Amino acid sequence: MSEKLPGYGTITVPVDRAVPFGAVTPAPVLQQELFFTSNWRIVRPVIDDEKCTRCLTCYIACPDSCWAYNEEADEMVWNAQFCKGCQVCIQQCPTEALTPQAELDFEDGVVWLEKPF
Amino acid sequence: MAKVHEITIWTRGVTMDKEGRDIATAIGNAAHEEGKHVQFFDNYEDLPDRVLVTTRKYVRISDEEIEHKYVYTNDYPEVVIIAEPTIIKGIDVLRGMSPGGTLIINSHRDIDYLLKFIPNKDLLGTVATLDADAISGIKTVDFSGSEGGVDTAGVGGGMAAAMAGAFAKVTGMVKKETLAKIVKDVAGMEKGYAEVQVRKLR
Repeated sequence: MSEKLPGYGTITVPVDRAVPFGAVTPAPVLQQELFFTSNWRIVRPVIDDEKCTRCLTCYIACPDSCWAYNEEADEMVWNAQFCKGCQVCIQQCPTEALTPQAELDFEDGVVWLEKPF
Repeated sequence: MAKVHEITIWTRGVTMDKEGRDIATAIGNAAHEEGKHVQFFDNYEDLPDRVLVTTRKYVRISDEEIEHKYVYTNDYPEVVIIAEPTIIKGIDVLRGMSPGGTLIINSHRDIDYLLKFIPNKDLLGTVATLDADAISGIKTVDFSGSEGGVDTAGVGGGMAAAMAGAFAKVTGMVKKETLAKIVKDVAGMEKGYAEVQVRKLR
């Protein structure tokens, strides 16, 4: 693995010394495709679109920016790969549009990493 | 060297760390009491743990002295205990297991449903579930006894006692009577022993 670093010339990292996933990531992006933390989650926030007023409190409250607003479709988008299930959004939602549901109730969202991190 | 039985316990960081550790401590102490050679310890790789992060605890039981003192992971677990069932969605918990191993999950759900999340379930010889949360409901958050410290909070005061009881029933590696001398919640341990659902897969 050879990489050109600005101002530092080229370094060659042997494969066995390469850092694990998540240590070096491209930024800024909405979702880091190399870093999954969804296996920390026991509870998933489920949104009721009828009750949601798009006040974006969840977007502000989420410590990891897992809620985003899609203006074109007028809907809240949840980042399933990064949400750790801390439930702050559920606590903060003023209209109770968000409810906690056990992660094992859903068959999607399987990450299945080899090692914890 | 005699066979070393490797037991890995998967739990969640901080919130269920003590319970996971208690399962390892209870099993390890019970096997030691029965005259076996034993090692049990927290995982070094996963530390420092954070809230809800998956962490491991290890037990090794052998009839003879265990020679690999400085290996701090169970690379070939024979028994895997899952203290929080959602972990099976996020981690390859059976990694390194030889065919015919045992999996014990703390869950009220159906065994078939849980096996859907385990693609390498062919390795399993036995799978067991126990609703330990319903038996005890207590998840002690306490750091005494962690990282080799003295445990002043006592071993097996919460759902760990029930899981240790289930382990005794499913594997037979330790006796229920020996566990009863070690865990605080003896009634919970007995209930775990009695209520665990076992299914042989091969």
